[in-house]
Amino acid sequence: MRHAKTLSLFEPGDVSAAPSVLRVRPAPPPPTGPGSDNEAALALDPRELWIAAHVPQLSLLSLPAGVSTAPLVVLDEARNPRVMDADARAQAAGVRPGMTLGAALATAPDINARPRDTARELALMQRLAGIAAAFTPQVSIESPDGLLLEIKPSIRLFGGLKELCRQLRAACLADAAFAGSAAQPHFTLAPTALAALAAARAGARCFITDPRQLPARLKLLPARVLRWPEDANARLLAMGVRTLGDLLRLPRAGFAKRFGPALLADLDRLQGRSADPRRRLARRERYTGRVDLDHEIEDHDRILEALRPLLDELEQFLRRRQRGITALQCRFHHYRAAPTTCALRLAAPEASATRLQSLLRERLANLQFPEPVRRCELRGGALTERPLASQSLWSPGERGHAPANEMPALIEHLRARLGAAAVYGIGRVAQHRPENAWAVAEPALAAVVSKASAGDPAVGAPFRRPLWLLHAPQELDSQRGRPRRGGALELLAGPERIESGWWDGADVRRDYYVARDGRGARFWVYRECVGTRKWYLHGIFG
Amino acid sequence: MHEAHEKQLEELLAHPSVWRGRSRAAVETFPTGFAALDAGLPGGGWPRSGLVEILTPHPGVGELYLLLPALAALSRLLPARWCTWVSPPHEPFAPALAAHGVALDRMLIVRTHLPLWAHEQALRSGACEVALAWLPRASPRAVRRLQLAAEQGRALGVLYRSQKFAGEASPAMLRVLLEPLVGAGNHGARLHLLKSRGGSREPIDLTWAPAAA
Repeated sequence: MRHAKTLSLFEPGDVSAAPSVLRVRPAPPPPTGPGSDNEAALALDPRELWIAAHVPQLSLLSLPAGVSTAPLVVLDEARNPRVMDADARAQAAGVRPGMTLGAALATAPDINARPRDTARELALMQRLAGIAAAFTPQVSIESPDGLLLEIKPSIRLFGGLKELCRQLRAACLADAAFAGSAAQPHFTLAPTALAALAAARAGARCFITDPRQLPARLKLLPARVLRWPEDANARLLAMGVRTLGDLLRLPRAGFAKRFGPALLADLDRLQGRSADPRRRLARRERYTGRVDLDHEIEDHDRILEALRPLLDELEQFLRRRQRGITALQCRFHHYRAAPTTCALRLAAPEASATRLQSLLRERLANLQFPEPVRRCELRGGALTERPLASQSLWSPGERGHAPANEMPALIEHLRARLGAAAVYGIGRVAQHRPENAWAVAEPALAAVVSKASAGDPAVGAPFRRPLWLLHAPQELDSQRGRPRRGGALELLAGPERIESGWWDGADVRRDYYVARDGRGARFWVYRECVGTRKWYLHGIFG
Repeated sequence: MHEAHEKQLEELLAHPSVWRGRSRAAVETFPTGFAALDAGLPGGGWPRSGLVEILTPHPGVGELYLLLPALAALSRLLPARWCTWVSPPHEPFAPALAAHGVALDRMLIVRTHLPLWAHEQALRSGACEVALAWLPRASPRAVRRLQLAAEQGRALGVLYRSQKFAGEASPAMLRVLLEPLVGAGNHGARLHLLKSRGGSREPIDLTWAPAAA
């Protein structure tokens, strides 16, 4: 039943609108009307095709489900509230949109009047926009209840205009908001955005690909579908202008004088005389998925197995958008204990389910579940651009192979198991104190060696520096002012005085020596110049 | 006819994976930076991929100096790959490494309680030119895994171990014992090739280069 409805939706009676007639036609003779100054030949061509979707009774649809059986009425947020939408029962009782609350209550005293919920309305429209975005990147929400899609470039991809429309409608109607509801979005197709929108708002059939048919189709639509300011509508009504046809017949100069250039521009856009660019909806999407397990599972491998469908879904989600994620959060729900969470951070945007699963495996290996797992939830981080790399002809390590993918992958893999702090790079710091002369650095992913790190000999220490530095200086025994480590240490070079750091409280005054023990190992030792004058081991020459 | 067979046989024996007795194996190598060592090693340098075991009686005898020229050269190769240090005993001192010409931003330090696992991952990943690891103990089986991982990832794996393992059999491609030169005025070490496919049997004396200053 539903399927049949789906097929019929885009007014298939409109035979002339078959995709095969999509070609540029000669400009039609200039019509008469406000848009029709003699010189203005219609600049229409079917370069663009817009689908508009209008959700009637959006505010009713968006209300949280209630149990009340009373006739439902939604009020707008103005100080003097008016009825925005009324459900079938309320309409039957005589309540009409636009009534004040007082009038509505007088008409039907038992109505359940609720304020509109704009956040939920927006959420519903954004959900629809998300669905529509699978068909074209040019999607915009016409606040509050309209959706615009430019679909000309997508027609071939979806196998023709009708097929695209059918799929779009089916996808939109599958949304939970329309399940069991009589109010369904109304779709229209027109060569201009405003025309499609106007027809959709009027609930009129419109499936036009040929700009020449546009005036005839617009003619009968009521003028208020343009949603102009109330006073403009009232003045038009006073002039006897009820339909768009009436409106377009008005003289252009006079219209501009009375209603201003902004509304004239609207008319131009409606007819395709001037461009009507729409801001694309920037989507902030995240993937969330959950799976309820049939049995409580404790075994990590089986949990990973259960997560695999979610990861596959995530991969599909990301591939369709050509995006990747750099963070992934898993929540494991238990019977009694608080949920266990496990967050995965990635060095580079990732979309592959296999890779994510192998990283999760490493993370799970470190995770102890207090109780068996009953439910898993997956939550992807913000989507980021994922540069699409082609497969390398060479295998890793071969000459010519750029290890662009392997390098961040190795870091992620190690970090997933060992923790982020366990994997790091090193860098130099311009400080004299040896312990401050190096610092942990984030591993550089740039493919080229940066100049700073390239071991500029001019920056090289004039004195010998050991290859190893101890985490903390190690106190040495001494005998008659000579350091000992196992046996006596022979001082080969030095002293080199390092005196620095009085400004930050870590003041050092040390005399450094190169020392050698009886077995031939070389050390970097120092003696405090002040205080206890003890000997310390600070480095090993390796 | 006979000659043709000879020729075919020769071609077959020249294959890198065929190694006969003390003949020099045809392995891809790169120079160690020490002329004396290059002359003694099969192929004239460190293997391009494979596992090298460096055994020392105690730390500080020059085990790092031995690799410094190689590290400096490998860290400058393009396209760049990591030089990974798995659980080093102390902190590699960045200024000294830089003074020896090592590119610091190719260095990747891994601190772990699972050095074997991390080393294998690094070698196998194909993202490392060289991966150094300090392992307190490693069974011959584990060493074999590392050797295979290094071949797969086309990386040079270096395993630092104590001299007391010198008697154990090892699947590593090359085993080197390093002894300090006690009493000599210069800074150097004596090197014995415990296992090599056709390397020198004589000990090799090396002197460490001072930092480029």
